[in-house]
This record gives sequence, C-alpha cells and structure tokens, in this order.
Amino acid sequence: MPRAVKGLLIECDPSIKAMIQMYDEERHDYIVEDLDDDRHLVIKESQLENLKARLDQDLDAKIGGLEDSESEGQ
Amino acid sequence: MAASMSRPLEYLESLPGTTFKKLYQQPSTALAIFRRMLPDLAKCFVMAMLYLKDPLPTSDLEKWVRSDSKRQRDNALSILGRLHILSTTLTDNNVRACMVNDPFASSLRQALMGSDDAQSFGVLSQTSNESTITVADLDEYARRQWEGVLGYMVGTSGLGQRDINLSKGVKQLLQAGHLVEIRNHHVDITKDGFGFVLQDVNTQVWHILILYVESAQAIGMDSVEVLSFLFLLSSLELGQSYDKKGMTSVQLRTLTDLADFGIVYQESPDATRFYPTRLATTLTSDSNALSTPASGSLNGPGQPGIPGTGFIIIETNYRLYAYTSSPLQISLISLFTNLKYRFPNLVTGKITRMSVRRAIDKGITADQIISYLLTHAHPQLRKHNAGQATSSSSTMPISVLPPTVTDQIRLWQLERDRLKATPGFLFKDFSSLADYQTPCEYARDIGVLVWKSDRKRMFFVSRHEEVVAFLKSRS
Amino acid sequence: MDTIDASEHYELGTTEIAPSLLTVIIDTNPHAWATIEDALPFSKAVANILVFINAHLACNYANEVAVVASHLQKAAWLYPVSHHSQKPADRDGDVVMNGDSNGPQTSKYRSFRLIEEQVNRSLKDLLDSTSNDDFRSNTSTMLAGSLTLALSNINRRTIAWAEEHGGTKPDEVAGDGGGLATANGSAAVEDDRSLQSRILIVSVSGSSDSAHQYIPMMNSIFACQRLRIPIDVCKLSGDAVFLQQACDATKGVYMSLSEPRGFLQYLMMGFLPDQRSRRHLVLPTRIDVDFRAACFCHRRVVDIGFVCSICLSIFCEPPAGNECLTCGSPLDAGNLGGKTGSSSEKEEEEEEDPPSKWWFGGWDANVGACDSDSRALNIIILDLFNEGWNLH
Repeated sequence: MPRAVKGLLIECDPSIKAMIQMYDEERHDYIVEDLDDDRHLVIKESQLENLKARLDQDLDAKIGGLEDSESEGQ
Repeated sequence: MAASMSRPLEYLESLPGTTFKKLYQQPSTALAIFRRMLPDLAKCFVMAMLYLKDPLPTSDLEKWVRSDSKRQRDNALSILGRLHILSTTLTDNNVRACMVNDPFASSLRQALMGSDDAQSFGVLSQTSNESTITVADLDEYARRQWEGVLGYMVGTSGLGQRDINLSKGVKQLLQAGHLVEIRNHHVDITKDGFGFVLQDVNTQVWHILILYVESAQAIGMDSVEVLSFLFLLSSLELGQSYDKKGMTSVQLRTLTDLADFGIVYQESPDATRFYPTRLATTLTSDSNALSTPASGSLNGPGQPGIPGTGFIIIETNYRLYAYTSSPLQISLISLFTNLKYRFPNLVTGKITRMSVRRAIDKGITADQIISYLLTHAHPQLRKHNAGQATSSSSTMPISVLPPTVTDQIRLWQLERDRLKATPGFLFKDFSSLADYQTPCEYARDIGVLVWKSDRKRMFFVSRHEEVVAFLKSRS
Repeated sequence: MDTIDASEHYELGTTEIAPSLLTVIIDTNPHAWATIEDALPFSKAVANILVFINAHLACNYANEVAVVASHLQKAAWLYPVSHHSQKPADRDGDVVMNGDSNGPQTSKYRSFRLIEEQVNRSLKDLLDSTSNDDFRSNTSTMLAGSLTLALSNINRRTIAWAEEHGGTKPDEVAGDGGGLATANGSAAVEDDRSLQSRILIVSVSGSSDSAHQYIPMMNSIFACQRLRIPIDVCKLSGDAVFLQQACDATKGVYMSLSEPRGFLQYLMMGFLPDQRSRRHLVLPTRIDVDFRAACFCHRRVVDIGFVCSICLSIFCEPPAGNECLTCGSPLDAGNLGGKTGSSSEKEEEEEEDPPSKWWFGGWDANVGACDSDSRALNIIILDLFNEGWNLH
C-alpha cells in the first residue's frame, strides 16, 4: 500500500548533503527519508530555518577567507 | 505572466467551493478570472464548451489536443478544476464528459453577450464633467500614492520626499501583511517587505489587495463581496468616472480604502462618483500591457506618464547608471548596489559580490533583483541589446540585461543559498513498478511532480490532493 | 545545484506574451446571403460574429480586433472607423455616441459595447449607401480589396506595437530575404514576441464570381504567407477555390459549414484559438485542396491550361499571335492545340531553340496528404452538431 509522507524535498550538492547527514547523525532530527542519489533528501519541514542558519554559519567559516579577495576597485 | 499571476491564483485556489459559486455570479468576475488566471489552452477549452448544450465527452477533448501536448492539456484541465470552472460528469450513456460549471458559464456568456442586469460592469457617471480629470492626472495621483506607500515601507520619508498622508488603515494593512514591523515607533521593513518593494507594480497591487481581502473578513466585511468588487474595478475604463449610486456600504468602504493606495480616485470620500486609476484597470491585464504604461508612470518623477520609461543602464562590467532623482528608486537600487556618485538626475554605482550578498541576507532573491533591473531597464539598453542579438542571428532569446551580469547575480546567490527546498509529499512503498508508474506519470502530467526515482519507486509532489484522488479512483 | 552553465542563460523576460490582432472579413454580398436566409439570417450571423469578437477580446486585455466588410462594389472598414473622430487604438474614445445608447446597455463590458455599436452603425451606413444600381450590377464580392485593407492595417499595427514595446521589428518578421522556408524553429520564438495577427474570412459567395480577382487575391495570399499570417476561412455556402488555397498556403483553418445554424459554435471551437494555442490543438484543415487557378486572359477557372515558360502566366487557350499577354515573349504553341486530351503533364519537345514553348499545367483537384488527425476533428464537430448545436 503506497504511503504519502509530508516533508521538504531538498536539492543540493553532494557536499551539502554530506553536511546535512552529518548534522542528522547527532540526534536524527532532520532527515525524513534519505533518497540516496547524493543530491536529494527529504527533511522535516520545521527544520528548514534551523538547517539554513547552521549551514550558513559553517559555510561562512569555511569559505570566509575568500571575502578578502573581493576587489572594489574602480 | 506566471510570476505575477501565481499569487492571486494561489489565493483563489485556497477558497472553498461555495465561495466560487458566489463569486461567479458576477459577469465581471467571471470575465476577469477567465482573462487573468487561465493559460491559453484552458481559455480555448472554456470557449469551445461555453455554448454547447451537452457536456463534451472527455475523449473528444483528448482528440482535439495534439498528442505531444498532453502535458499542457492536463495542466489546463487541472487549473480549470482547481478554480471550479470545469467539472466532469457522466452522461446518460455512461461516457465521461466535461462541462463548464453553471454560475461561471452563464456569467461569462452574459459578459460576452450583454444582459439586462444593470450593474455588472459599473454605471458611468452621467454628470457632465465640469471638473475634468484627465488620464495624466489619474496617473500622477496613482503614482504619488503608490510611491508614498512604498516610500513609507523603505523609510525614505526622511530623505526629502514629500510626505504622503498615509491613512491608518494602510499602515495597519502593511503591518498585518508582515511587510513592515513597528519597533519603538520606528518603521522597520521586513524580509517579505524587501521582496515586495522590488516586485513589479502589478504584483505589488495584487499582493496588497489580497491582504486587504483577508483583513476585510477579519473586520466583518464580506470577503466575497470585496473580491468581486475588485474584479469589477479591474474591468472599468481608465479616464471615465463611475457613479456611486446603488453601491452597497461594503463597496463604498472598499472604495475609500482603495483611494488611499491610489487604486481609485475620488475628489472627496462623499463625492458622488469615482475614477479608477491605471492601477485598477490593469489588474487583469497581462504583465506586459502593464509594465509599460503603469510602471512608466510610476518610475521617475522626471518623466511621468511617458510609456515605457526605464531609467537603469547596466554594463557588462557591473556598473550601473540610474537616471532618476526619486529617493524611493535610489534607496531601492542601493539595496543591492554599492552606490558611488550622485548627480542631480543620475546615480551611479557598481553591483558587487558583497552588495548582492548584503541584499540576499536581507531576504531579497536574485530573481527579484534581476526582474527589478529588467522592469526598469532604459530603452537604450533594450534597443542596443535587441540590435546585437539580431545581428548575430543566434537562436538565443534576446536578453535586455547583459547575460554575464544576470548569471553572476544568480551565482552569487547560489554561493550562499546552497540548497533548494520544496515543500510537498513523498509517495513511497509502492508494491510494484506498474503501481508506481501510473500515478507518477499522472503527477508529471498535471505538473506537480518534483522528483522521482524509478529504482526506489518513490516520487515527490508539490501538491498531493489530486494524486491521492487519482490513487483512490484506481484502487 | 551547480546547474548553471553558459549555454543556458537565465532570462526573465521571455514569459511575456504578445497579444493578438484578429481581422474579420465579413462577406456582405446580399445576393449570397439571400440564399441561406432560412438557415442563418445575416443579422444573426453578425450577432454571432460579435460574440466571437468579444470572446477574442476577452482572452487577453491587449488583444485587438479589426472588421472589414467585403461588399458588392467596395471593401469597407466596419471597425475601427477613422472618419468618426475615433482613432483605431483609442478606446478611451469619448464621445457623442454615448448619448443615445448609454442608458439601457450599461451591463456590458465597455470595450465590447463600443465595438458592437461601431460595427452595427458602420454596417448600417454601408447598406444604406448601397444603391440599387450597385445591387443590380454586381453579384460578387470585393474579397481581394478586403484582404488588402486587412493586410495594410495589420502591417501598421505590427509596426506600431513593435515600436511601443521594443519587440521584434516587423521587417525582421517580414524579412525580404528570409522568406518562407528558413523560418520555423526560431521563428516561432520570435513570433511570440511580436503582435500575432490572423485573418478570418466569413465567406458566402461562390467561387465563380471571384475569378476576376484571381491575381490580386493570390498576391494578398502570398503576402500573408510571407508574413506568416494565417488566413482562416469559414464558408457558409458555396465553395471557393481560391480560399481553400489561401488556407492551405498560410496554414489557416478551413471549415465549410454543413449546418450554418451552429455558426457560433464553429467559430468558438475552430477559429478562436490563436497561433500559440494552435500549436497544441488538432485543427480542422482541408484535406483535399482545390488548387485550380484562374486564367489571366478570360478569368476562367481552369483545370488544365497553358503556362508561359518565361513568366508563368496562365492562359486557358493560346492567346492571339502566340505572344504571352503578360511578358510579351513570343511562344510556340506547337501542335498542342489545347484540346489534346486529359493528361495533365504533357511536354512534347520538338525544337530546343526559341520561340519558347507553352507548358501544360494542371492540378488534380484531389491531391493532398490525408491527415488522420484532422479528419478526426471534422468528425467530432459534425457529431456535436448532429446532436445538439443549440445555443443557450
């Protein structure tokens, strides 16, 4: 019997997916269904904002160094 | 068309079926919804069936559409169904057939053929025009009021902008819609608000009107009546004055409220007649017809009313020149641009990674930036790039903005926004491949399928009602 | 989501949809209308056409319409009419005319009403101005003139629209070099952004009457073909040879109504979809097009005739002096006296040198691929009307 599960389909790079999986391992409170094709997964709707904030934070920390190379030269 | 249409469409879809019955009593509403909300093919279906006595067998309808346009057909039928315009029945000899539902069909026929019912398209004022209001006056009024609203939101009133007296109702509405927040007596624009101010005028007006209808219900006005009055307004003619006689108290109240936004004009709240402005009359036009005259008149105070006035030039090196002195426009541009110099009629700046990043942090999307730039592109920019595209005789569509810039703005957004989230439903646990395939194909045909995996027998849809109904009908 | 690559530029503006301009040519030949008076009186046909026009305008805020009457002695504008102090595009229009008709009819959408009033008034003017002499001396209809009027208006509006909207310039669409064959894939995209025009001819007169207009008509048809303006034909009585060719050449819809009482339904189902929608629909097209031509000398419709090998003019019999009437080339009719039997392709070459020869040209009236899809629709529509064509 087919079932329908409510959730958010997340489409992202393999790298981002790896990070989400890492977060989920802590308490298993993100992922509803891992669609194992390295770009898609379904997560709980309530966790989106939390997830985004966390990703932004971590990504900033990782690629923040690039900001300096920005040139405002005229 | 799609972008500015989706919001009213979404709102309408959320209404219960009985509301539609009431709404469709008015020929003006039927006409407006027909014209504004339906894709081309759906319009053809409705018109083809409108004057048929018997329901049209579904098989005939299927034969009428080319086999390779099945998707468009199902999409059209799905929208018609969601708006309660079309329904399928079984005829006497058990053939599935579809027909246009009645209040809608008879109202649309009335709109096309005329009827005795006096009021459905407004009553022209018979009083002689002793104080003539020209179209230019109306445009000026609409522009002033609308800019006033936007100016209030982005807080330009301190920058020397003439202050428009915004009524309390307007301010409350903006708050109720979470477009602004009041913190310590200070107006603060929200993320939604930033998105809002960059949209094109037609979308903005719809957004406000839907907020208005929602709030009308809260204060005890009949939302159906307000909504059908809005559709009536949209079918009136610019430059004509209409008589208020015979209008209900709800309609009169709506009229006064809309005057604050510049959607209608009346000399005073107790005048006997009113004028619709361009903001009202273009509500049910496609965005194309609107973007020229109305946003032209709303753009730069320097050249009010000139059709198609854009003022932004953007070069491939990300430099931006905006020929405007409107504080509102300047503050909008500064949302995503590093402004460098300001001259009496010109500001220049540069779009940079940081400036776009800043905008995105505020909740503005790359799409909104690009569509703002596109709406306000200088005619010279349009001409220049159109000329280039034809000379190279490429098959690529003509792009008004330099493609490098639009692509880069999007890339800058992606850099930050690394995932795309779609709310919806995952269907899984199908017992056989065949069980999985049919609903999956159905979902794709009606345009709700987002993702699927044949191997795992799972698919993800953005709307589940129709798929569930489909599954039920088969089990 | 690194889904961006250089080949796919991100573009927002492409979803804007251009409006369409529908030009209706009404054949107002009273002689022909008299023959179908019982099935469909003229007044009712006009009322139906007006509803159809309203439906067209209802489809898009910016859609435009023009109506031409193809009358006995002249072709005349029914809408827009310029000498009425009313500009075609100017719907704000004022005016005098509101006075008499404003009261009773306010329940109608204003732009619909303005067009209806204008069409009815000009139609009345046109009929009033037809003298008895005109009536007696003419039995045909000025179709070629009407097509020319329609085309010139379309051209004017296309240019004006392109200027207002900065869209595709008309000379690109019309492209003197581009022409017919090169256009297709990319042309469809281009077309979406310029004003979409099409012509609908509501025809009642027979073909034999219009043979004398063969050349101007074919010229108009080729112009439409080049400008990619489909000519749709709704034939209420008789069958006109050249109109079939018009539809065939311009990929328009041809319907000959077996049941004129269902006129409105035919209009709504067959003729309302614009070019964009037509890409998705199976349209009723003629499968057996009558490709006969009229000769240049006597304006007779001929199956087989003589064709000048220099300029391709058609003659029903070798002209006097064996000289082509069009280009003046001396031609040798040889021994093909014109009555050599029925074979349509006959080239009996005797001498290779000038004078040039006559060619025999001819078409089989029943050539044409049979398209099963279009046949299906014809059957559907017929079924509908056998059961219930009734209007509500």
